[in-house]
Amino acid sequence: MESNGRSLVEKSLIARGISRRDFFKYCALVAGTLALPTSYGLRVAEALEKKSERLPVIWLELQDCAGCSESFTRAAKPSAADVVLDLISLNYHETLMATAGTQAEKLREDTIKVGGYLVIVEGAIPSSEGDIYCTIGGKTAEQILHDTVKNAVAVVSVGSCSSFGGLPKTYPNPTGAKRVMDLVKDKPILNLPGCPVNAVNITATLVHFLTFGKLPAIDDKLHRPLFAYGSLIHNNCPRRGHFNRGKFVREWGDEGHKKGWCLYKMGCKGPVTFSNCPLVKWNDSVSWPIGSGHGCIGCTEPDFWDHPLYLPVKIQEVSPPAFYPAVGVETEKPIDATSVAVTGAIAGAILGAVGAAAVTKNRHSKDGNGQSSGES
Amino acid sequence: MTTIVKPVNARRSISIPWGHIFLWILATLGAVVAVYRLFYGLGAATNLSDGRPWGLWISFDVVTGVALAAGGFTIGFIVKILHLKRFYPILRPTILTAFLGYVIAASSVVLDIGLPWRIWHPLVYQNFHSPMLEVALCVMTYTTVLALEVSDPFFEGMGWKSAKRVVEVFMIPLMVLGVVLSTMHQSSLGTLFVLASKRVFGLWKTGYLPLLFFISAVAVGLAMTILEANFAASAYDMDAEQDLLGDLGLYAAWVLLTYLVIKISTLVGSGGVRDLWSGGINNVLYFVEVIGGIILPMILLFIPSIRKSRKALFRTAWIVVLGVVLNRLDVSFFGFAGTPYIPTWMEWAINISMISAAILFYDFFVRHFPIFNNEH
Amino acid sequence: MGNKTLDRREFLKIAGASVGGLLLTAGGAAAAESSKTGDGIKSVPNGYAMLYDATKCVGCRACQTACREANHTPPELDVTGNYDEPMDLSGDTWTLIKLYKDPSESSFVKKQCMHCIDPACVTACPLGALHITPEGAVAYHQDICFGCRYCMVACPFEVPRYQWRSVTPYIQKCDFCVSNGRLEHGETPACVVACPTGALKFGTRPELLSEAHERIKKETNTYVDHIFGEHEAGGTHALYLSAVPFEKLGFPKLNDTPYPAKITIPLDIGVPGIIVGMTTFATGTYFVTGRKEERTKKEETHDNDS
Repeated sequence: MESNGRSLVEKSLIARGISRRDFFKYCALVAGTLALPTSYGLRVAEALEKKSERLPVIWLELQDCAGCSESFTRAAKPSAADVVLDLISLNYHETLMATAGTQAEKLREDTIKVGGYLVIVEGAIPSSEGDIYCTIGGKTAEQILHDTVKNAVAVVSVGSCSSFGGLPKTYPNPTGAKRVMDLVKDKPILNLPGCPVNAVNITATLVHFLTFGKLPAIDDKLHRPLFAYGSLIHNNCPRRGHFNRGKFVREWGDEGHKKGWCLYKMGCKGPVTFSNCPLVKWNDSVSWPIGSGHGCIGCTEPDFWDHPLYLPVKIQEVSPPAFYPAVGVETEKPIDATSVAVTGAIAGAILGAVGAAAVTKNRHSKDGNGQSSGES
Repeated sequence: MTTIVKPVNARRSISIPWGHIFLWILATLGAVVAVYRLFYGLGAATNLSDGRPWGLWISFDVVTGVALAAGGFTIGFIVKILHLKRFYPILRPTILTAFLGYVIAASSVVLDIGLPWRIWHPLVYQNFHSPMLEVALCVMTYTTVLALEVSDPFFEGMGWKSAKRVVEVFMIPLMVLGVVLSTMHQSSLGTLFVLASKRVFGLWKTGYLPLLFFISAVAVGLAMTILEANFAASAYDMDAEQDLLGDLGLYAAWVLLTYLVIKISTLVGSGGVRDLWSGGINNVLYFVEVIGGIILPMILLFIPSIRKSRKALFRTAWIVVLGVVLNRLDVSFFGFAGTPYIPTWMEWAINISMISAAILFYDFFVRHFPIFNNEH
Repeated sequence: MGNKTLDRREFLKIAGASVGGLLLTAGGAAAAESSKTGDGIKSVPNGYAMLYDATKCVGCRACQTACREANHTPPELDVTGNYDEPMDLSGDTWTLIKLYKDPSESSFVKKQCMHCIDPACVTACPLGALHITPEGAVAYHQDICFGCRYCMVACPFEVPRYQWRSVTPYIQKCDFCVSNGRLEHGETPACVVACPTGALKFGTRPELLSEAHERIKKETNTYVDHIFGEHEAGGTHALYLSAVPFEKLGFPKLNDTPYPAKITIPLDIGVPGIIVGMTTFATGTYFVTGRKEERTKKEETHDNDS
């Protein structure tokens, strides 16, 4: 890493006036978010520093609200996280790119031709009435998706719309909205649901891809990365203690609400929602919905808009015996070695005595007969 | 008749003082452990738990011990009520051992109940629907009855003629009372396990348990009498009354036959037959108990030559006793449902120490008071 | 139960007094006179009951905490004496939420005393420390109990628990908040008040039974068509609704006979029978054989023993 400023990272650091120390700290943080050991922080940093070429990225916006793009680009101040953004080449993004019209579409097609790019999809794909609800440059959303995915290395769906259909798919689903997983079958797909998606999870996914050359580990059913969507909000919730003690907010603004009690009764979906919100929070880890007194709406779960926002959910995902004693567990006193030894010795002695008596029976029987005949 | 007989000269026991010393050590150890149990509680001294509320003390000392002490009322009935005076020589030693057996059972109960200083509560608070109350009151009363019966040779030995005369007046009513009380609580011990039938293994689970317990108590009472006569004969240089014992053996055979018939028919009646081949240690124990503990000694006792041989009769009586012991332990210990339980060394120590103390007391009493006295 | 038992009790009193009179004149008389709790076991079939709907329970354990606070039971300790979540009912935990889970279904279940109409524990208790209150709850006098633990052995649901760590241990179990006075003051038990989802409901048994039947009728697909506690062991005051078969929730398979009925014959008929029969038999035999012996004695003018 000499001072000629060849590496992308170093250029970026100089341009933003960020120290290398901060960069390393950031890498360690991302490693932590990815649930990697601390030592991986250095590996991540090394891997990123070695990059001399940017990763081409096509960001498709279909039936979306650009909320996820907002979330992704939101930064209160220039930070080490922005460095990661300098490591990708965002070749196509309707909202952010300067070009428009044919020029813009050509950029996308050129990228596709070269290949080796990453596709990020934001928004659901309409399917009813001949896909008329979302067309760009005369092409329907589905066509665009298929064309773009053709030569991609992987597909990342950001936000609930592309991951699970989101708001467009909510009943009665007039556009016949579909998720990416319904249409793309032959590429590795990773879903980063959320309404919007947490920017930390996008950068962490990108860092993982840049460092290891593949997408992070996902669950089989919903294709969500385990590092971010591996545990229930409920299980990491700072208000969990109140849940366990039965201290619930029963009305907005009541005593319990002021004291920060559990929001379950107010319809909090934390007990059924998988997300790392309680850990990474939002707005540069300033706060998050439950932290500010509103229940979780469950935005990282499929079809969350279809559930009444302020009605309590049925808790399903629970795992004995870590959190609840399982049926059939009985009070047991652990058996110590001394008891076993003593009991064994005594049982052995008794059995031995009985056995010995049985064996010696014949030896004495004659003697006994003789004696008995002498009596009476 | 009322002449004071000189104590039997126990030459042999003097020549082996080591046995006494050993027994004294065991008895003292148990006394220390008993104090520990009183000051630190049941949880500290025993391996009992909520999943297994009754353990060694109840199964072994109370349920089994009371059965083994059945010789007292059996021989009392034979001698004093049936007027079979020729069995008189073994009346006193048998009643003495029965008394000691009940003292062991009562002491165990004192240590086993959670609040030993409330042992008198059954005299004041009663629920007459409880078989446990019946057992408690009967054991209390019968121990007193036995103490009075034992006081006869005691007063004789001390030379307190007037006291002895008073006891003699009450001797017959005491014997009648002893028979009534024994019938009641020997069977009620079975009733205990009818109400607790959830925990009793299928092969022993029957509503006729009280009847079975009573009949087997009679059988074991006869067998214990045979054993005690033999012990005493060898330890104190006396003749065993072989013809008497042989007759007792024949009675025992008939009782065992009755027991067997009822046991098998109740097994069929209660539907326990389907558990016969269900596999597991309980099935093995059942077969050992029925074939080895009932059928085998029954056949042996029906053979005249075996009844005539002192050794053979002695050993057959042992089999009867072991068979009934196994039965009681099967019902209340081995086949008793609950979480895994192994007694602690302290539970064993108390058990063994009480038996040691009983042997020491027996030895002392026999040597200083007219127990083995053929004149009356 | 009913009239028969009262008769039997009277009989036993007389028998007890006569037996006691021989030996424990003072004690026996006291036993017959001053028995404070022996005035029969009166079951209250239509007392207060609690309906637990497992489909509505979310496992928040508010009931557990409320119970602990209302009854002042100390926090659960593990083997090493450190604070621990309760894993089962214990001397310090009168109720707790357990979870049944297999790949296809899961359900919470609240463990507590079932408050049987004819409880095995009340019949088992030799001293009458366990008793049925007029409200129908099965409650406990700790001043009477001497710790024989027969109630623990007899209870088909294995509910009564013991304070094993204590040097002065007592039986511990749910008593429908009788001992802390809530029921007396017209309040419902603490756990019912605490439940945020309405999974717990308190009322009279017939009321709750009809409501439970209605719920099953309304949502046939949700519930198992069975109310646990309606008939089991003669009926209980804790009623359970569930979407999962009750055996999976750790409930024993019981028939409808109340447990105390099992010992009616040996105890209610057998014991008086033994007292009368055996006394008559033994005394009779004594006189018959005695006379015979005297005859032989006269003939032989000898002892029949050597």
